[in-house]
Amino acid sequence: MTNSTNNIEAVDTIIENSQVTPLLRDEIDQYQVAYEIQKGDIHTTLSLLKNAGWIQLSYLSAIDWPEENKMELIYILFNWEQPVYVQIRSKIDRRKPEVPSIIQIFPGAKYYEREAHEFFGIDFPGNPDFDKQLILENWDDIPPLRKDFDPSSYSKKKFPSRTYPDQFSKKDPDNKTREKQTEREKRANKLRTGGGKR
Amino acid sequence: MKKMKLFLGPQHPGMHGNASVHLYVDGDIIKKSYLLPGMLHRGFEKQMERKLWVNNIALIPRVCVPEPDINEMSFAMAAEKLLELKVPERAHWIRMIMLEFARISAHLMAYGGLGGPTGVYTLMYHAQADRNRILEIFEKISGARVYHQYIVIGGVRKNLPKGIEEDITTLIDDLESRLDEYRDLGIDNASIVKRIKDTIMLPEEVVWDLGVTGIGMRSATNKPYDVRKVTPYARYDQVEFEVPVSDYSDARARLDIKLKEVQQSINIIRQSLKKMPEGPVRVKPGRGQSMRWTVPKGYVYAPVESSRGEFGYYMVSNGGTTPWRVGVRGASYPQGLLGIEKYLPGTRIDDAALWVDTMGVCSPEMDR
Repeated sequence: MTNSTNNIEAVDTIIENSQVTPLLRDEIDQYQVAYEIQKGDIHTTLSLLKNAGWIQLSYLSAIDWPEENKMELIYILFNWEQPVYVQIRSKIDRRKPEVPSIIQIFPGAKYYEREAHEFFGIDFPGNPDFDKQLILENWDDIPPLRKDFDPSSYSKKKFPSRTYPDQFSKKDPDNKTREKQTEREKRANKLRTGGGKR
Repeated sequence: MKKMKLFLGPQHPGMHGNASVHLYVDGDIIKKSYLLPGMLHRGFEKQMERKLWVNNIALIPRVCVPEPDINEMSFAMAAEKLLELKVPERAHWIRMIMLEFARISAHLMAYGGLGGPTGVYTLMYHAQADRNRILEIFEKISGARVYHQYIVIGGVRKNLPKGIEEDITTLIDDLESRLDEYRDLGIDNASIVKRIKDTIMLPEEVVWDLGVTGIGMRSATNKPYDVRKVTPYARYDQVEFEVPVSDYSDARARLDIKLKEVQQSINIIRQSLKKMPEGPVRVKPGRGQSMRWTVPKGYVYAPVESSRGEFGYYMVSNGGTTPWRVGVRGASYPQGLLGIEKYLPGTRIDDAALWVDTMGVCSPEMDR
């Protein structure tokens, strides 16, 4: 294993020698570098890096940016011989998010793409099963990891709050116990606050 | 013979956690299979976006139930990278002790899990009893047995209690002396050796195809690919340890590597106790009240080596009081989902539970 700064330079050289023009480069630490690229360059960049030794797809997911009206795809690749994690990011349109699948390059991406489809609603043409349900069963709302999905209003809609009758016991239809209880609470409260005398 | 559909799990002695494997069988050979996750989905990634940085510490250990400390470490590392925070020296060493104990306890649980599908229950009881002693150490250090919430952003929650070094030394000496016994009870036990030797193979090309990491990769490729060695975090670059490998990956080889890794973890703990300096164990990540702590903008990926392979958190901060997005890379994602679909067919029904056990599949981290 060579020096880690040389490894990041190796990634830079690969990107520079290709037709890909990165929109942004960010060196996070000695083992990690990030590139933001155009949507059309994803396939070229990933296959170039894979041929150069970045053979492991560590992570694939998405990030929602509703203010910019964008979705951001994120691919993390790793090379065990030249240890650098490479983040490849790309922003796509949020209204109709669609990215060609990368399962021809990384077969392991199959389930990551299914998950990204389920949680963000991104389509991956080329992946035969991308729209099959995986984790969420019978989901009937917008994809849940989008920022405009509100879990609390969803659960209120899905599980409306019930109202219980005041009369909660058959043995005690006049609700005597309840009265006794309120009285006891009142007395206790009085004792706690010093009986109103100060 | 008529084709049948069988279910392994979600409630099955050979299945870890609540995931179900659907098996289509012809005779007793599996023809087609897939995993049905989702029974343990708790929406962690969404919940983390809604909770403050400090509140998340209570949530993250729940992502992986048998080995919670890696979550704390990965979350803390990611936030520290964004904050450019310098963690006190002593905290690094305490973190390593915790992580290595967590590794031993996860390995013991997985190795004891061999007892379920093969019927050697003695092994399981011994492993669980020893794991319990590790949990007692955890309880003394952090106050909790399973979910410690001990590794926090900026260090560890509190210093080690007085006299814990002696307890740790006694425990690791004892564990080390019992490793041969574990070997005899498990992988060298004549009554089960036929079940684990030359079965449940993991060839090298399958490893690269799936993207398996951890013990699976090291046992098949004969290369010491370990996140602790390749991209060292904490103070793993200052301790001496070996990464056990093999070039023939059957179930026995993988279990053998697990036992060897327990030995290496014991060595690391011993060195950490010696090298650990005195001093503070925590720095505050922000000014003022913890509810108002913010983390600067940025994208970061923080990998750690879990007992099943590379485990990491992908974290995006918007500069706010909550994370903008936290993604969890579960170590068992490749072998658990794609592996079961592509490579479990061809084995026999009774080996399916063993397949899942020795490949290291943890369903909570796939569901989240």
